[in-house]
Amino acid sequence: MGLEEKLPSGVLLASVEKLANWSRQSSLWPATFGLACCAIEMMTSGGPRYDLSRFGMEVFRASPRQADLMIVAGRVSQKMAPVLRQIYDQMSEPKWVLSMGVCASSGGMFNNYAIVQGVDHIVPVDMYLPGCPPRPEMLIDAIMKLHEKIKHEPMGPNRAKLKAEKGEELALPPSSVAHASAKTRDERLRTVPPNEVEGKRSSTIPLQLLEER
Amino acid sequence: MTIAPENTETEVPEGHVKLVVDGEEVIAPEGELLIRTAERLGTVIPRFCDHPLLDPAGACRQCLVEVEMNGRPMPKPQASCTMTVADGMVVKTQKSSRVAEKAQEGVMELLLINHPLDCPICDKGGECPLQNQAMAHGRSTSRFVDTKRTFPKPISISTQVLLDRERCVLCQRCTRFSDQIAGDPFIDLLERGVHQQIGTAETADIHNSASHTSSGTPFQSYFSGNTIQICPVGALTSAAYRFRSRPFDLVSSPSVCEHCSSGCALRTDFRRGKVMRRLAGDDPDVNEEWSCDKGRFAFRYAAAKDRIRKPMVRDESGELVEASWTEALRRAADALVAARESNGAGVLTGGRLTVEDAYAYTKFARITLRSNDIDFRARPHSAEELDFLASSVVGTTPEHVSYASLEKASAVLCVAFEPEDESPIVFLRLRKAARDKGTKVFHIGQWTTSSVRKTFGELLACEPGGEAAAVDGIAEHAKDLDAALSSDDAVVLVGDRAAEVPGLFGAVTRLAERTGTRVAWVPRRAGERGALEAGAVPTLLPGGAPVSDASARATLETSWGLDSGTMPAEPGRDTAAMLAAAASGELDALVVGGVDPDDLPDPAAAREALANVGFVLSLEMRPSAVTEHADVVLPIAPVDEKTGTFLDWEGRVRPFSITLEGTGALPDCRVLDTLAVEMDADLFTQTAQAAWSDFSRSRVVSAHQGSNPDQHSRPAASTPDTPDGTVRLATWRQLIDNGSLQVEEPHLAGTARDAVLRMSAATAERHGVTRGERATISTERGALTLPVEFTDLPDDVVWAPARSPESIRSVLGAGHGASVALSGGAR
Amino acid sequence: MGMFDPLKGFGVTFATMFKKVVTEQYPEDFYPSAPRWHGRHQLNRHPDGLEKCVGCELCAWACPADAIFVEGADNTEEERYSPGERYGFDYQINYLRCIGCGLCIEACPTRSLTMVNFYELADDDRRKLIYTKEDLMAPLLPGMEEPPHPMRLGENEQDYYVQGPELARGRGVPEGETVETSKEEAIQ
Repeated sequence: MGLEEKLPSGVLLASVEKLANWSRQSSLWPATFGLACCAIEMMTSGGPRYDLSRFGMEVFRASPRQADLMIVAGRVSQKMAPVLRQIYDQMSEPKWVLSMGVCASSGGMFNNYAIVQGVDHIVPVDMYLPGCPPRPEMLIDAIMKLHEKIKHEPMGPNRAKLKAEKGEELALPPSSVAHASAKTRDERLRTVPPNEVEGKRSSTIPLQLLEER
Repeated sequence: MTIAPENTETEVPEGHVKLVVDGEEVIAPEGELLIRTAERLGTVIPRFCDHPLLDPAGACRQCLVEVEMNGRPMPKPQASCTMTVADGMVVKTQKSSRVAEKAQEGVMELLLINHPLDCPICDKGGECPLQNQAMAHGRSTSRFVDTKRTFPKPISISTQVLLDRERCVLCQRCTRFSDQIAGDPFIDLLERGVHQQIGTAETADIHNSASHTSSGTPFQSYFSGNTIQICPVGALTSAAYRFRSRPFDLVSSPSVCEHCSSGCALRTDFRRGKVMRRLAGDDPDVNEEWSCDKGRFAFRYAAAKDRIRKPMVRDESGELVEASWTEALRRAADALVAARESNGAGVLTGGRLTVEDAYAYTKFARITLRSNDIDFRARPHSAEELDFLASSVVGTTPEHVSYASLEKASAVLCVAFEPEDESPIVFLRLRKAARDKGTKVFHIGQWTTSSVRKTFGELLACEPGGEAAAVDGIAEHAKDLDAALSSDDAVVLVGDRAAEVPGLFGAVTRLAERTGTRVAWVPRRAGERGALEAGAVPTLLPGGAPVSDASARATLETSWGLDSGTMPAEPGRDTAAMLAAAASGELDALVVGGVDPDDLPDPAAAREALANVGFVLSLEMRPSAVTEHADVVLPIAPVDEKTGTFLDWEGRVRPFSITLEGTGALPDCRVLDTLAVEMDADLFTQTAQAAWSDFSRSRVVSAHQGSNPDQHSRPAASTPDTPDGTVRLATWRQLIDNGSLQVEEPHLAGTARDAVLRMSAATAERHGVTRGERATISTERGALTLPVEFTDLPDDVVWAPARSPESIRSVLGAGHGASVALSGGAR
Repeated sequence: MGMFDPLKGFGVTFATMFKKVVTEQYPEDFYPSAPRWHGRHQLNRHPDGLEKCVGCELCAWACPADAIFVEGADNTEEERYSPGERYGFDYQINYLRCIGCGLCIEACPTRSLTMVNFYELADDDRRKLIYTKEDLMAPLLPGMEEPPHPMRLGENEQDYYVQGPELARGRGVPEGETVETSKEEAIQ
């Protein structure tokens, strides 16, 4: 879009990238997009018990022009779809979308004509959050993972290419493991299924298996 | 207001009785079972053992009702499935009698005592009569608190059928079916009291019972699958389907069996785009509620891994490579146009086609290739057969001979026809007729096959090849048969093997004319009757008019929208002649449907012809001997993935519609239509519906239906002498062998009959063959070694299955009636 | 509305400053969920490591959101994954459909499918949120052995189902670690 696309990827830009990403992830302002039950959990997350302001996110902006994260919380009906897209279009770049709950992510149990089967049919989604509804910790976990993504976002295509060439992959371990203090980490690890600790799974749909059978 | 009292005394017709069921007066035919009378009134009495097509047994005791005779109540509730109606009977079902209701609840509780509670994982759960009736008529709780009886599970009754004995409620439907309907009593009740169970030869010492052949091996029933379907509790399950899915997540669609000419109605159940199982459909006119194991279990060929799904063309290096439809059709069209303009192209359709597809082939040959070189007979055939088909078969409907007329017939003669192997449902009908109605079944064949035994039939043994003489000799040597055939309702069934016996069709025609009996032709393959009707033969047009008939041609030209005189007038070549012409270069191209060279009269010559001919277009589902030589291969749809119509041997229309939609597979008629468009002709067979309506509109019925005078003059060929040291070979294909529609079915293959060489003890002695060992039959072309079994064959005759699994024709180059050398031991 | 009511409001705020902080410092601290919280699924094992899943598909059928896909296959003597005839050959749960209602757990006839409390599932790739059998399988505890292997604890599947806990103790599965579903199994 702008200057960064033309810039070479050097030492300077790498540092600028870090700074820009840090500032972006540190004050991610969500647009209010509560659509159903998930919105209640989203509101709770903003309340004193979970307190999203710890991450600089206390202001749910009513104006899309002041928001850079859209938390789609709840089932998106076909009628809401164009509205949602318009709000998304009105948000200023850079912007992210978090699909909260299974209804927003895939339609969930509402596999019917009225519900959009996944909000990624309408807008690009950066983070999928399963759950029906997800508890506030899950939302915070998704936000933390999104922060992690933002932190490592390449600035411009040249940086992206460089990162790809280096083979960098972003693992998204559970937030409570990633952010645990050294003291509590071991205790925490005991309750996490071993294959979830790294945040990398071998999960791909084994299509070839299905075909063979 | 006063109304004159209505006369409530209703007339009781002759042969009927009047009784009271649940306070309602009913008139019922004598001999009707109470359970059916109640059913007619809309009262469903719960039952397990009762089945309308099986003899009453009264085994499960679930159908108890209260009965009062002549004003005296019977002391105990009676089983309504075994008690027939009687005049003045008063019946109280569970609807009006607390006693009957309580009795039924009690029986249900007893049945459930040892029945495991595994409904959620049982194959029957969801379509289970026990489950349903326990919900409707059972107690909600059980007083039984002890451990249920268990058995090791499952035991296999055959490779196909598995038995979980703890689920069994001993209704004996399966044993009664196998005993009464199929005639293979391969399972029976064993033990007594609480230990009573269904068992097989392996679980009990019943080796000397009727369920075993003389050599002590258990029978392999061709109908064992039916026991799974009629089992009311899920005790019998199919090895191929066991635990694969549940009734409630299957989508069912009615279909028609593609394996033989019986034309069975089936029910195809599928899910996730995959056929999971097939069940016998309910069609009282055709298969009643039965089907053979081949029709029930052989359907996975369509899902085979090697299925051809994209067109293929042969590239410069001689390899078949996948190509686009456009390219493949272009290649085929160019080559066929070139062939048409020089020496011509021939069409071999094979026996698997629907009427619509066969009609498309007919039109393709006549319009696009401008030739009558088309033949559906991918098996031994003769000109004589063609005459017979034209004179006696084409255009006949079930009004001529049908399943019902077999059942009503006083006598049935099977000529060159082995019902159990070639048309199992005809076999079941013959057995039913013989068993219930006393129909006399005669077989002209070589040995007392299981068909002969199980139809309580009489064998008129003759040498292979001597069937024609045997038919001619009926008047002289078999007076009783002659008399039986002279009655109005007698039927003669001729198998397609008759084409291998010179003069047999003539002899049958003469027999029919002399005795006035009706003749029906029972081909082995499902598509043959339809292909004949559609005109996929060198001498007939769709509908059966001869090609040589100018007015018929003119009619057809009009309805096909052709210019007058463009239809070829010369009768075409038959399969053998086409292959010979292709080998010698008189034909430039062949269009081949589902043809297996091993079935052809001379497989070696057929392979040579396919290799030598300039261009081969193959329309196939899976790679075959034809695709090896094909220049262009076009994929076509199996029956599950298309709509169409079969004609069964009666001439009955058996339409079916698509089961699996959206697979992208195209039926033959659509492929040929598109190919014809590439060749600047329009067949109007874009869809099966279009093809059918075009066919119905265009069929030209022959003006001179009737017997062909030629056939009377043709003498029955006398059997040529057998040279010294040789024997005559009798052979036919068994129901379950290595046919191309039976691939990927290991469980089904396990129920195939053993491939053995059968001969009489005298023959064996003469040729130095010992019982229980192996013997070899050979010609100059090759040799085949099989285990020996002694049977009542005429002297110097041996029988071997046509696929063992090698094709006897491929190995020996000889078929039914040929002379082969016999020697003991392996070659 | 009285004159001091606005001040009362500020009073609440002011008073809260001296109260204990209610905020949960979630990612840094961890507050365990209720023991029966419906988190991620787990496919359990018998004490010798054989799978409990028999591929019966009842979970898939019970699922109101159609999130589960199961396909069973036959065990053979050479390749045995579970006691008995069948095992779950392919097992997938789509967490973008799963509403965590637990009907699948109720439907499971062998207690193979249960839920653990883990919930931090968010991911940026929808394909990664379709968990396969490898992801869902319970970890191998001491005494367990990765299938395929023959039945180690009995002649037939009955032995496994009837005497599971004793077999587990004999197999050396640590106390407190349950190869059954959870603590409530013991009560049942």
